Amino acid sequence: MQVTLKIFRYNPEDNRKKHFDTFTVEAEPTDRILDLLERIKGTEDGTLGFRRACAHGVCGSDAIRINGVNRLACKVLVQDLKSRKVTIEPILGLPIEKDLIVDMEPFFDHYRSVMPYFVNDDPPPSKERLQSPEERERFDDTTKCILCAACSTSCPSFWVNDKYVGPAAIVNAHRFIFDSRDQAAAERLEILNEQFGVFRCHTIFNCTDACPRDIQVTQAIGEVKKAIIDRNLE
Amino acid sequence: MRSRAMPKPSWNLDYMMWVFTRLSGLSLILLIVIGISAGLLMGARSQMDLGTLMRWTFFPNSNHVLDSEIPDLYLWANGFWQIMQILVVFFAATHGFNGLRVVIEDYSLSGFWQIFLRFLILLLWIFSIMVGIYVILGS
Repeated sequence: MQVTLKIFRYNPEDNRKKHFDTFTVEAEPTDRILDLLERIKGTEDGTLGFRRACAHGVCGSDAIRINGVNRLACKVLVQDLKSRKVTIEPILGLPIEKDLIVDMEPFFDHYRSVMPYFVNDDPPPSKERLQSPEERERFDDTTKCILCAACSTSCPSFWVNDKYVGPAAIVNAHRFIFDSRDQAAAERLEILNEQFGVFRCHTIFNCTDACPRDIQVTQAIGEVKKAIIDRNLE
Repeated sequence: MRSRAMPKPSWNLDYMMWVFTRLSGLSLILLIVIGISAGLLMGARSQMDLGTLMRWTFFPNSNHVLDSEIPDLYLWANGFWQIMQILVVFFAATHGFNGLRVVIEDYSLSGFWQIFLRFLILLLWIFSIMVGIYVILGS
């Protein structure tokens, strides 16, 4: 079958404005959108810019907007799409560097701001820090994040306000806030209780829909909000 | 959830208004339930049409039932219902203006415009509540 891809183009080194180029390629129903992008880059236009690494939904490099929704290019098959006409754009809310490539640094700045690492000042035990299966289950969902930015860049609050930490940062804070071995939950909750923290979330659910790992992002954000309230009421 | 040097919980505006929005939403529903239940118990079922009852339900002011077949406004116009009206005005106005504040702060740049718009909303909030209470007490 033939698939027509309308792809966003921008090159800061030439004088053309941001625009769309259209390509028609042969495709199998089981081809991924990433396969089509590589086919275009390999046979039609070598200047097309996009990120990819593992191509198996693990690295999170190839988050793009496919027909207006955030998806990983390596996880969407041609047969998953309702139309044979596909619009491909870079994810929103981050500066575009070239074509489908965005500057991820503001996203990682927010990620780093929530202390997304294990903190425990106690001396390490001789073997390991033990945790029950129930305690591990508490934050299991949010361990799945691959930092693709699909959630944050689907969030209207993130689009319009570059100070808002965004869903991905909150998800990664959640992963440690509810870890029974960690000791910095209160610090993370205070960070997320600031003006551009967790209460900028208006429960739109775009993030949950966009997550390629099926993380219940909005629920995780709600749990962090509740943890802040519980802590303030203690 | 343990913690090392525990920072003190902070009570900032966004946190407090997020909690208030939930509580005021529930409070408005409760006030509406009280308004419609009391209206039905006071004779609305046979003495007024549905439109009149709805006007009373969402704002229990006796002017809303003047055109009905209620023989005596004694039960419908007293201090209790004035307090109910003031609560409706307070919760609805605060809930609504806070929503406007959130939208503006989502979309306006920080600095002068954010401070200016916040101040403008504060003035509008105070003004609308004062007008509401003036009308309620004067009617």
